[in-house]
Amino acid sequence: MHPLNCACPDCDLLLSLPAGSSRRQRYCPRCNASLGSGRGSFPALASTALAGLILFFPAVTLPLMRFTLAGQSDNNSVWEGIADLWQQGFPLLAVTVMVCSLLAPLVQLLVCFSIACCVQLSRFPAYYPSLLKIANTAKHWSMLEVYAIGILVAYVKMMGDGDVTILSGCYCLAAVMVCAILSEQLFDNDHAWAAWQQGKAP
Amino acid sequence: MNTPRAIDANLARCESCAQLCKLTDGDRGQCPRCGSAVSLRYRHSLQRTLALCLASIFLLIPANTLPIMTVNNLGNGQPDTIMSGVIRLWQADLAAIAAIVFIASILVPILKLLALILLMCVVKMRLRLSSDQCTRLYRFVHLIGRWSMLDLFMISILVSVVGLGNIASVDAGPGATAFAAVVILTMLAANCFDPRLIWDLEEND
Repeated sequence: MHPLNCACPDCDLLLSLPAGSSRRQRYCPRCNASLGSGRGSFPALASTALAGLILFFPAVTLPLMRFTLAGQSDNNSVWEGIADLWQQGFPLLAVTVMVCSLLAPLVQLLVCFSIACCVQLSRFPAYYPSLLKIANTAKHWSMLEVYAIGILVAYVKMMGDGDVTILSGCYCLAAVMVCAILSEQLFDNDHAWAAWQQGKAP
Repeated sequence: MNTPRAIDANLARCESCAQLCKLTDGDRGQCPRCGSAVSLRYRHSLQRTLALCLASIFLLIPANTLPIMTVNNLGNGQPDTIMSGVIRLWQADLAAIAAIVFIASILVPILKLLALILLMCVVKMRLRLSSDQCTRLYRFVHLIGRWSMLDLFMISILVSVVGLGNIASVDAGPGATAFAAVVILTMLAANCFDPRLIWDLEEND
């Protein structure tokens, strides 16, 4: 019998999990809550996060689509959408959109990449615990998948009024979205904390 | 006592690193592994959830009555509220898109608030509902919250992509700011609610 070493986050049931085993893919027997997050290796996390970071800058600055009506056309990017809202006098709205579609995904990718590198190299800086806490907050507010559906709705809405062309920024943004979702799935919180604790001990 | 609970052993689960922490002094302490503040239950869970829910309910009124955006077409501006935007999509034979926007912008915020109020009533008034199903409802509220941002992202895209001077342009409206506040406040409210309070009722019967 193992000691009771884990509490369910949703119903507070005390559980015993074999020492050393990861909590991923384990569920609470009473309320079926997931007891751990993420599955996967840190090299995989590092490469996905890095791929997302490389594509991040083009994704937010390249134009997403072009709207043409009566011979005139205009295009947009994620960043311009935020800047235009600010200029029209909606700073709160601009900040909200910026945090959810730009800042949180960027921070999430940066932090995931740093954590994966730290674990892989077994070198833990003093701010490593803060990185892990930031990762958990950033993933909560990163909403690129919602933004992608927003692009779809905007596209369909404009189709009736003029010509709409999808541009390169859209493909970059889709790739960043996939990278952000994958890094969330690959990020094993328990393993990242355990590695730090082991690295500190000797 | 039929099931072992962490609270009965004075153990608290750390919010950031999932470590079990033995609390020796009252209901608060510090995680020995990561240094975060830990407590047996979220602090003032019901009060905070209720306050954020009330604020969201009041903000729902301007969010739904003020225009969220104005589409200017050859000098004619049509201010749209959330509902009139959905109706316009429906009339343009875009039923699927109209349904997506209706669910994300109107159903989800209202259902979230109703669900949180129900969960608070269950805890406060000790209603005899299945704890398992209440927990599922709580997880569902958590899961769908972010999708309400859809309309705001769409406005941000339209505002910048449709800027053809006098021919066609899109302006955001004050309703959008109120709606953004509703989405954020309801997400925070869902974060403040502690689902373990539902299961505590079973112990105290």
